[in-house]
Amino acid sequence: MSAPFPHFIIVDDSQLDCFIAEKIIQNAGSYSSVKSYMEATEAYEAIKKSVPGPADAMTIIVLDIQMPVMNGFQFVDAFEQLPADIRSNYAIFLFSSSINENDKNRLGNYPSIRRFYGKPISKDTVAQMIETL
Amino acid sequence: MEKQEKIKILYVDDEINNLTGFKASFRMSYNIMIAVNATDALEHLNSHPDIRVIFCDQRMPGKTGVQFFEEIRSRYPKPIRILLTGYTDIDSVIDSINLGNIFRYVKKPWNDGDILAAINEANKFYVSNSLLAVKNEELQRAYNELDKFSYSVTHDMRGPLLSILGAIEAAQDVDDISEIRKMLKLMKNSVLNLDDFIQSIHDYYNLNRGELEIKQIDFKELVDEQTRIFNFTYLVSDVRFKTTISQREVFRGDELSIKLILNNLLSNAFKYQRKENKTKFVDLNILVENGLAVIRVEDNGVGIAENYLGDIFNMFFRASSQEVGSGFGLYNVKAAVTKLNGKITVDSVVNKGTTFKVTIQNK
Repeated sequence: MSAPFPHFIIVDDSQLDCFIAEKIIQNAGSYSSVKSYMEATEAYEAIKKSVPGPADAMTIIVLDIQMPVMNGFQFVDAFEQLPADIRSNYAIFLFSSSINENDKNRLGNYPSIRRFYGKPISKDTVAQMIETL
Repeated sequence: MEKQEKIKILYVDDEINNLTGFKASFRMSYNIMIAVNATDALEHLNSHPDIRVIFCDQRMPGKTGVQFFEEIRSRYPKPIRILLTGYTDIDSVIDSINLGNIFRYVKKPWNDGDILAAINEANKFYVSNSLLAVKNEELQRAYNELDKFSYSVTHDMRGPLLSILGAIEAAQDVDDISEIRKMLKLMKNSVLNLDDFIQSIHDYYNLNRGELEIKQIDFKELVDEQTRIFNFTYLVSDVRFKTTISQREVFRGDELSIKLILNNLLSNAFKYQRKENKTKFVDLNILVENGLAVIRVEDNGVGIAENYLGDIFNMFFRASSQEVGSGFGLYNVKAAVTKLNGKITVDSVVNKGTTFKVTIQNK
């Protein structure tokens, strides 16, 4: 029996980027659900409250770096403080239109970040993310 | 002519007679400090970091002038070091000059002309050295800023472009025309956002590089122009816009900077409204009297959380993702206010509203 399709959470302050990611993921077809958050704090609260069932599919988080209020790295900081049984249901992928050396070096400090991708998200990226699960 | 502070000169010699003679000869033109030994000399150097020239006798008990200069060089690199010495010591002096410990030497017994010439040369060297140091520091700072700036700018310019690219890719697989329309609307916002950002960079450049152009300011005219600009915005989003201008005297200032301040503050006031609020308003109040122009922009919008108030004037800082913004607007406002020697303060309560107050002086 193959694993169920993953859920997707998109965290990006750009409405257009959220919209694109939703479309690309939906068009790729391999998803159980897609939800967008323009505020990272709201996404964090939702994840904190989530109670996944044992047989539930993994959730892929498509995370933007530069956002006001709570940026991508601050989001991961907060995420990594969550209990392990919640964290194990999520896979975080970082997205940005550019990345500086400083940010690149920081990636290594976050075990829960699976990979960094340049924007825009594409069908191939979605397939690759699902592949790593 | 502006009265300049006298140049500080330190003279170290174990012979009191030399010291008093030196002081008597030059105290009218320079601020002369004297020391009979290295300990006294260090005390002077500690309490007067702006000593420009040090004269030191080569032959002193316990320590030669060359040794003294060698010792102080790393701790007090700025003062120019000049050795006083007779011909017999010339070999050690040559070495020391070549090692860079001494700027030059004056032979003993000295005459006033030699000393004055040495001070002149040393002072010129000191001034150009410190100018160079200041310029270097400025350059380094500008360079670091440029680094940060160019990263953020590339990111912020590529962001909307890549969004549009992504939308074009995604649209290839969409057949529903209403979906396409929705995407086009979002793409249009991205384009506007990018255009807004480029305009802000232009403002930033003007503020930082441009000269002030002082001329008579008619605030009524400026406000009329802004009213025309925002006319569409406040009609569409149902915001009551009230302007009160009382200009009681002729005001002179830099029009470009004042326009920029008005435009950015008003744009924010219109942008950060509470959508559910039934009585949205933006009040602009300008009072010009007693050599001051006081501009108040008040709204009853979303407000700014207290912990962000300290950051809102920082470049690229954004306290909300409710609306598109570059994080450039208030930074530019602050730069414009500073350029006009003015003051800006902000009062804000979350979900109650925000008031910015700008005070600028009549030129």
